[in-house]
Amino acid sequence: MALWVQISPGSKEPLYVQIASQISRAIALGHLRPGDKLPPVRKLAEELVINPNTVARAYLELEQQGFVASKTGSGTFVLDPALQDNKDLAQLNLLGQRIDTLIVQGLNLGLTPEKLIEFFENRVRRFLSEQNKRSP
Amino acid sequence: MNDFVLQTFQLTKYYHKTPALDHLNLCVPKGCVYGLLGRNGSGKTTAIKLILGLLAPTAGRAEVFGHPSDNLPPSLRSRIGYITEGHHLERWMTIRELEHFQKAFYPDQWDRRFFAEMLDYFELSPKRKIKTLSNGQRAQVNLALTLAANPELLIMDDPMLGLDAAVRRQFLEGMVHLIQKEGRTILFSSHILSDVERVADRIAVIDKGVLRADCTLEEFRMQIRKYLFEFPQPNIPVDTLPGLIYSKRNQQMLEATVVKTPEEAIYEWARRHQAAVEPVPMSIEDQFIEFTGPKQARKLFSWEMPV
Repeated sequence: MALWVQISPGSKEPLYVQIASQISRAIALGHLRPGDKLPPVRKLAEELVINPNTVARAYLELEQQGFVASKTGSGTFVLDPALQDNKDLAQLNLLGQRIDTLIVQGLNLGLTPEKLIEFFENRVRRFLSEQNKRSP
Repeated sequence: MNDFVLQTFQLTKYYHKTPALDHLNLCVPKGCVYGLLGRNGSGKTTAIKLILGLLAPTAGRAEVFGHPSDNLPPSLRSRIGYITEGHHLERWMTIRELEHFQKAFYPDQWDRRFFAEMLDYFELSPKRKIKTLSNGQRAQVNLALTLAANPELLIMDDPMLGLDAAVRRQFLEGMVHLIQKEGRTILFSSHILSDVERVADRIAVIDKGVLRADCTLEEFRMQIRKYLFEFPQPNIPVDTLPGLIYSKRNQQMLEATVVKTPEEAIYEWARRHQAAVEPVPMSIEDQFIEFTGPKQARKLFSWEMPV
């Protein structure tokens, strides 16, 4: 298990979003595997020198997104993405909206739809190859 | 009984005919880290002094631990830690003498070991005289003296003013350490908003003596939003934008900051004026400046945009 969270207070992204997105990225890249335990809230708060409630808020966000589950008294654990109900419509809608934003930005840059699709495909492949490189 | 450690009721202070604090109603719940924000001279220090009973209010009142501030008994005072900007300590004393002096005010709860550990961490010998210390070291001693008393309520008035980044971080570590304990409450003021973002649960923004925002940090981060609009024509009816607090325009472009306006209302307004719209993320510092600044942005040192 490898998790290295870094935050930059005072930047444009709220702190809990910074933490949640780094952890969900670590899960997507396979640095955190199903069953891995996230650091205890207090420990991560002390390490990052932030309010423990902010760490708890980040964990709640990840829980609502279905990436982790908390077990009372024992901590927060990474869930297996394969076992998740990926058909959750609300989440897919949200993902779709984010992709739409990227499409608009791409078209505004003057990319043709074909170029845009190609670009998107390349990025997905690059991400997956990075994942394979880092996995043992 | 309620769970507020500290409460003010229409708390008001006039200096001659000038209101320094105007009908402040503030409730600080137990276990909360409350950041008090405001520009210089906004009334933060006055509020803190009134809360601690160090100043008499012109009108209204304050309560700490359910007890009137103007008459706090020593038994309640010993549950409060107070740090002021500048970290004034008795110059002629050594650190050890100061510890004995301080301990007398907190007889039942003084944590000798913790105090020694902190001095060790700061690499300060207890034999040092206060007058030989730098500003940062004096601040460190002050922090150790305050935290070793294990306060239930810690009140700090701009404690990090003028400190270097390393000592500032130690203050933040001290705050995080304290709030990990059950039921500790902190009220602090600061101008360093990235520090406030690190530790505050809630914030109160005071502007010219008036409380203008009182919400969770997350609400503040989420409810002050900036958008960039592009209009087909140059006559932009900015004033009809709901919740507008700040705007900047350049021909057909408009950058506008709004408070508590639902996203749908923004998009609806844009559609009505045939404008393209795009959200612009903001830092807490941008949010604070635009929330407390003049409505129409005019920079002091600015030059005309070439047209």
